[in-house]
Amino acid sequence: MPVILLEGLLLAALITIAVAVIFERNLLACTIIYCGFSFGAMLLYIIVGAADVAFTEAVIGTISTVYFVIAIKSINRRCK
Amino acid sequence: MDRRAKKKLAGLILIILLAAAGGMKAGSFLPVIGSHQTPANTYLSGYYIENAMEHTHAANIVTAVLADYRGFDTLFETCVLFLSGIATLMVLFSKAKVKDRRAKEEPEEPVLPGEDERGRGGSILDTSFRIIVPIVMIYGIYVLFHGELSLGGGFQAGALIASAYLMDRIAPGFETRMGEIKEENMLIVAGLGTFLYAFTGILPMLFGGKFLEYEKLPFGNLVKGGAAGLHGAGILMIEIGVTICVMSVIMTILEVVLERTEFDDD
Amino acid sequence: MTEMIERVEFFLADRGIYMLTFVMLAIGIYGMVVCSSYMKKLMCMNILQVSIIFFFLTFGQKEGSTLPVAVSQTVEAEQYINPLPHALMLTAIVVSLGVTGVGLALLMKIRDIYGTIEEDEITGKGGGR
Repeated sequence: MPVILLEGLLLAALITIAVAVIFERNLLACTIIYCGFSFGAMLLYIIVGAADVAFTEAVIGTISTVYFVIAIKSINRRCK
Repeated sequence: MDRRAKKKLAGLILIILLAAAGGMKAGSFLPVIGSHQTPANTYLSGYYIENAMEHTHAANIVTAVLADYRGFDTLFETCVLFLSGIATLMVLFSKAKVKDRRAKEEPEEPVLPGEDERGRGGSILDTSFRIIVPIVMIYGIYVLFHGELSLGGGFQAGALIASAYLMDRIAPGFETRMGEIKEENMLIVAGLGTFLYAFTGILPMLFGGKFLEYEKLPFGNLVKGGAAGLHGAGILMIEIGVTICVMSVIMTILEVVLERTEFDDD
Repeated sequence: MTEMIERVEFFLADRGIYMLTFVMLAIGIYGMVVCSSYMKKLMCMNILQVSIIFFFLTFGQKEGSTLPVAVSQTVEAEQYINPLPHALMLTAIVVSLGVTGVGLALLMKIRDIYGTIEEDEITGKGGGR
């Protein structure tokens, strides 16, 4: 089952991105990294075989990123 | 790297090790991935896969399960989404304040003669959005009506149509923009979508069936294919309801959050 | 070499994928606890949701099967991936968007009242009695 190797690699990449979200200090950069995370999640769902779920995640990930960016507009971008 | 980040990193490594150990232990009693004989893959799912085509004429088995076999679940998922729209509006509802600020700020920015909305986004944004927005909307409607046969369905279609509105709203200087929609009206539309779903459930009850029993829907003369055709009609009706609800809730949240931030550019 | 790859694949199918999913879940919870900014807490909540959704989807996998879209009239259960977890998780993703929206609304309200969204500063001002 060669798919499972790809699955493991993508999961490792997603974990790395998740750690980057925690340690990033600029909230806007954080949001963009989160956008990348949701697209990685989309790839993972396709590999698992859930194409419908992947389609939804692609659209919803984009929309939630836009929400975050709009909200950040009025918030101090630096955080501890 | 200061002390705080070091502390954070140490805690992270500790918790990753703990979780890895827990996952190793959990893997010993969870099924092997890819096996055909696991409990999740044997009892009910085989019935769904083998009979979905025959019962509903929906080639996409996920849609058949979502809208037909498990329609009652999806009804309340739609209700949850509608409730989240209401909650967002209620948390941020202070119309008078925003109106005051608008009245206060508008005289400070007189519109210069010759400077219209058009130039602000740049011509690349203008042109590309004018091409992309209609295509996204058409694709959303295609996904709605084709969701039974290929990938897609109500949730994706609603999100796509809403994302067309979202692009239109956030791209500045789009000269043929559709204009703002009031979030209260949008929420009423979302309620109508949820009601369409519930109405599809109630309609068979008036003709001697049970809740969401599509075979008793009163359009037997209009659709081909007997009981399976009626199932298809029922699925299409609730997909339209779900699309309207998802679309309006996304627009509502966008409008509410945008209204709150629009005047805080400083 | 091929033998080693096979061993790695068996380890992943047996334990490894579950292990990585648990690690992602733990990172989500850790971020929600540790991060000071409320917006980061929201993002970490979304990470947690992705890991839970993926955990459900792993149960539907079948070796050598295809996507759950029927291509012919005669259908056998062995040919297609289990569609039940997909149908359940599809709605979960959309509801997660609603949760994000409500969270952002609360965040804007907090910003209006306290002037900041950092947990440390809010508790310092006496918000966390």
